Amino acid sequence: MKFNMLKGPFIKSKNNTNKIMTNLLIALIPIILFSFYKNGILLYQNNKTDLFGMFYPLIFIFTGIITSFLVETIYAYLFLHLKNDKLKDYIKTSFSIFPGLFVSLVLPINTPIEILILGCLVATIIGKMIYGGFGHNIFNPALIGCLFVLSTYSTIISSNGGFLNKYELDTIGGATPLTNAKIVERLDYDSLVKPYGDLSDFFFGNIPGTLGETCSFLIILAFIYLLLKHVIKWKIPIIYVSTVFIMTLIIGKINGLGLWYPLFSILSGGLLFGAVFMATDPVTSPTTSLGQVIYAFLLGILTVTFRYLTNAPEGVLTSILTMNMFVPLLDRIGSSNKFAYKKALIPLIAIFILLALLSINIGNSFNTSEKEDSNFKILEKTNSYYIVTEKGNGGPIKAKIYIDKDTITKIEILENNETESYYKLIEEANYINKLINNQKNIENVDTVSGATISSTALKKMVINVLDDMEG
Amino acid sequence: MKTILNGIFKENPVLVLLLGLCSTLAVTTNFENAYLMGICVIIVLTFSNITVSLIKKIVPKNVEVPVYILIISTFVTILELLLEHYIKPLYDVLGIYLPLIVVNCIVLGRALSVASKSNIRTSFKDAIGIGLGYTFVLMIIALFREVIGNNTLTIMSSTSKLTGYKLVYKVFDANTLFPMNILITPAGAFLTLGFLIALFNFIKGGKKNESR
Repeated sequence: MKFNMLKGPFIKSKNNTNKIMTNLLIALIPIILFSFYKNGILLYQNNKTDLFGMFYPLIFIFTGIITSFLVETIYAYLFLHLKNDKLKDYIKTSFSIFPGLFVSLVLPINTPIEILILGCLVATIIGKMIYGGFGHNIFNPALIGCLFVLSTYSTIISSNGGFLNKYELDTIGGATPLTNAKIVERLDYDSLVKPYGDLSDFFFGNIPGTLGETCSFLIILAFIYLLLKHVIKWKIPIIYVSTVFIMTLIIGKINGLGLWYPLFSILSGGLLFGAVFMATDPVTSPTTSLGQVIYAFLLGILTVTFRYLTNAPEGVLTSILTMNMFVPLLDRIGSSNKFAYKKALIPLIAIFILLALLSINIGNSFNTSEKEDSNFKILEKTNSYYIVTEKGNGGPIKAKIYIDKDTITKIEILENNETESYYKLIEEANYINKLINNQKNIENVDTVSGATISSTALKKMVINVLDDMEG
Repeated sequence: MKTILNGIFKENPVLVLLLGLCSTLAVTTNFENAYLMGICVIIVLTFSNITVSLIKKIVPKNVEVPVYILIISTFVTILELLLEHYIKPLYDVLGIYLPLIVVNCIVLGRALSVASKSNIRTSFKDAIGIGLGYTFVLMIIALFREVIGNNTLTIMSSTSKLTGYKLVYKVFDANTLFPMNILITPAGAFLTLGFLIALFNFIKGGKKNESR
């Protein structure tokens, strides 16, 4: 008995693979044109580049396409021993241009062209052909190529200008929104969104980023088009993006940020592009609907984890590659029987608990590092003394601190509501004199054991007064 | 001679039997480490094979593995102590990978499959063959990874206190594509090993995999 092995994706619809891929290409054309406008025409209009530089984005994308096409054809000729008509048939059905196209859309514009070619080579050979060609690959080929390039040549790319094109280097200078979000100390609108304009700039793609990912508006249009043409299912992109939205909403709410924060999170970086074009790749995503639901939830959780808990600013690429590994497993859960939803109840509940706990934890981790001495107040300030309050254990402690030429000479406690036994310990330890004597080296003064909160309050008082005098 | 060649090509421990991969992936960041590791494995393998072959008749079948592990770890410990005392730099270089030879599957595998069934002469030849096969593969992987990944070729660096020579070469001028640092990372080790196995099978003639 002989079994005929067919290649996936086995999608039940009137579309054949050829039509699907044509529609995908049509959906990508506006995005390519926009990146041409943003990275080429806009630069030319502002006299940042010459005519060659204006067409450079198109040349960049075209190089990717040609490379992966040539590599796959040569590979098929050399190793699969296909000749003439068979080779032509193979090329028609293998869609060899897509890895290269996606690699060039996901890489920053400043990638040197030879590195782009190498990335396409890796994407096609290691990501696709070694597994047996189109339909057999486990991982998304384009993302394999990008991961290779970004992990090997990130220093070269960033020394070339990173993700910013020449125009943005002058107007914005610095980093992409997500890299910026890693650097800033406080999460607020002014430091996260203001440098790039406002949220509409994020929506219409007027922010630095890779060629394909910036214009969220066009990506959403492409998503609707692909949905209407039945090329992709709605589940993965919608659930993926809304998981990230909800998690960042919780993180934002804990830190007292408004609705703009989750919007900022989903509009910046490659999240939308990855969710629509990469995570839905029919070969490397689950085919059962339950599988897709779990896949999308986990993608969202992983992306938030990678973005907040690791050093890397962007987590979409890595999380999609990670989840690609689990696709056969998810499909098995999804296709086990028709009560699959009942069976998957425990995994789903576990996912929701994970989602909630993770976002609360991440939110709180920002919270603790942010608050610093909101209890300290200067009531009166002259050349010879300060009158300050600081919150102690039982209530505010009020003190008069005498100064003389940037040094503290005497501390007089005016009011305190501390428990008497605790306060006695501080007096016994002669803590106030210790603070005065060691004010040059104040961080190393130990607190009084048994009266930690009260002594810390006194110490903070001194530190803040010293800061104020210097400032 | 046939047994030795068998160990290098037909039954190459890394490329065909896929044994001892942990140390293969870990020490091959540097050409020098690779051949030093290979030499250590050859020494341990030779002694353990000979000993196992000597006592094969008095070891009961059901306690085979513990006995052989004991023998191997004895030789590894002897080697470790000798190196620490006489050749300290080498001991420092090999570090954790030296004691890990004990659990290197190659040594135990050869003890179980060859030495416990054949005479001393064959066991000795087998040990030399397998050891050389392991060393060659390590050297090839390390050569590739170090030259392309780091743009250097270290032939003698950490043992230079011993020999008095320091031989570290820069191979080519760096450009945008090379050195390709991914090859120095663990991922690069897996990629190199995978491609080497593929190449080996390709040269051997991949006629057998038509069954798919």
